[in-house]
Amino acid sequence: MAQTGTFTLEIITPERQFYIGPAEALVLPAVDGQMGIYPGHEPVVTAVEPGELRYKVENKWEPAAVGAGFAEIKPDYVILLVGFAEHPEEIDRKRAEAAKLRAEERLRQKQSVHEYYHSKAALARAMARLKTRR
Amino acid sequence: MASIKEIRTHIKSVEQTLKITNAMYLISSSNLQKARKQLTDVEPYFQKIETTISDILHHSPEISHVFFDKRPDVQPEDRKIGYIVITGDKGLAGAYNHNILKLAEQKMSQHPHTSLFVVGQVGRSYFQEHGIPIDVEFLYTAQDPNMGRARDMAELMIDLYLEEQLDEVYILFTRMVNTFRMEPTVHKLLPLDPDVFPDYEKNRDTYNRDVVYVPSVKAVMDRLVPGYVKGDIFGALVESYCSEQNARMTAMKSSSDNARAMLQNLNLSYNRARQAAITQEITEVVGGAQAAL
Repeated sequence: MAQTGTFTLEIITPERQFYIGPAEALVLPAVDGQMGIYPGHEPVVTAVEPGELRYKVENKWEPAAVGAGFAEIKPDYVILLVGFAEHPEEIDRKRAEAAKLRAEERLRQKQSVHEYYHSKAALARAMARLKTRR
Repeated sequence: MASIKEIRTHIKSVEQTLKITNAMYLISSSNLQKARKQLTDVEPYFQKIETTISDILHHSPEISHVFFDKRPDVQPEDRKIGYIVITGDKGLAGAYNHNILKLAEQKMSQHPHTSLFVVGQVGRSYFQEHGIPIDVEFLYTAQDPNMGRARDMAELMIDLYLEEQLDEVYILFTRMVNTFRMEPTVHKLLPLDPDVFPDYEKNRDTYNRDVVYVPSVKAVMDRLVPGYVKGDIFGALVESYCSEQNARMTAMKSSSDNARAMLQNLNLSYNRARQAAITQEITEVVGGAQAAL
């Protein structure tokens, strides 16, 4: 265990290891709303929805947009495996807006179940990015 | 000794082949660099997803969920087993395609009801030639693996599994152990089986308390398992692509080397033949001149 008052946070995506290091707190978008985690949390496994995530490092909250995935939480260790993770400055607002419009357009059309879920997922991703970028 | 003309044509053809093998060598080595980068990027995710799933499974032994259902009431001889076989799109990659196809055939011979889902043109044409039925609509290339393709494949497999058209799903791919060793590997995708996951807990902190699932086991597993299958397929695609490029690079390098060695020998015999012809001509001229004297 690192120093008291922190836990090891790992945020990993297929493209890169987004963040590995100590964190003092974490707020992640779970299935039924935001979920806050402090060191010493009980062991939990939960699913992560696309949305905005915040983690506290050296008394500073760092925001990030994350995609769907899951999290394994232990008292001194939290690992998030998500589809994507981006810092706010990496997000292209225009692109996210265009993606949102595209997804909304597609959702209006008749689609197969899979296509519908893809469009919904695309919309959720775009919304997550836009929310984090603001 | 072969005539000068014959050697000349031989040299030309070897030179042509050398050009091709050398170009393929260069292409595959540049592709390999890209694939390696992707592999090093994806590997931590791939490993973490496995250790995490293993951790979760070992901490919560009693999960009743459709993805964990081994369907014990289905008799072994009636089990419908799906194999995803990842081959290359092109040949000329040494034993790469051969090894994975051999493994696939060996696996298939053990069960009467198997369905094949083949990635890559080489595998598709191989099974078609041998009259082994494969899923014809499963058309994915092995080039440039991406997440979207892995997602489509994962969705198809999960659908077939849930509709009970398949009872078990395996993926056959080539794992790149290091630059010199590539291993055809079988990996079980569905149903999730705690026994196939090695125990990673030795170097991890152990909590004897059971893990809590928020909001519920079903809600978490419904999201977690498709993500895991997708990540696993993606990792297998990347790993195979990297192995393919590596195998092709090695094969093309050795064939280029062989061609160069052959050219050297051919040049030697060409020069010898030329020398012999010249000598013979001189002898003839001298002989003719002497006779004329």
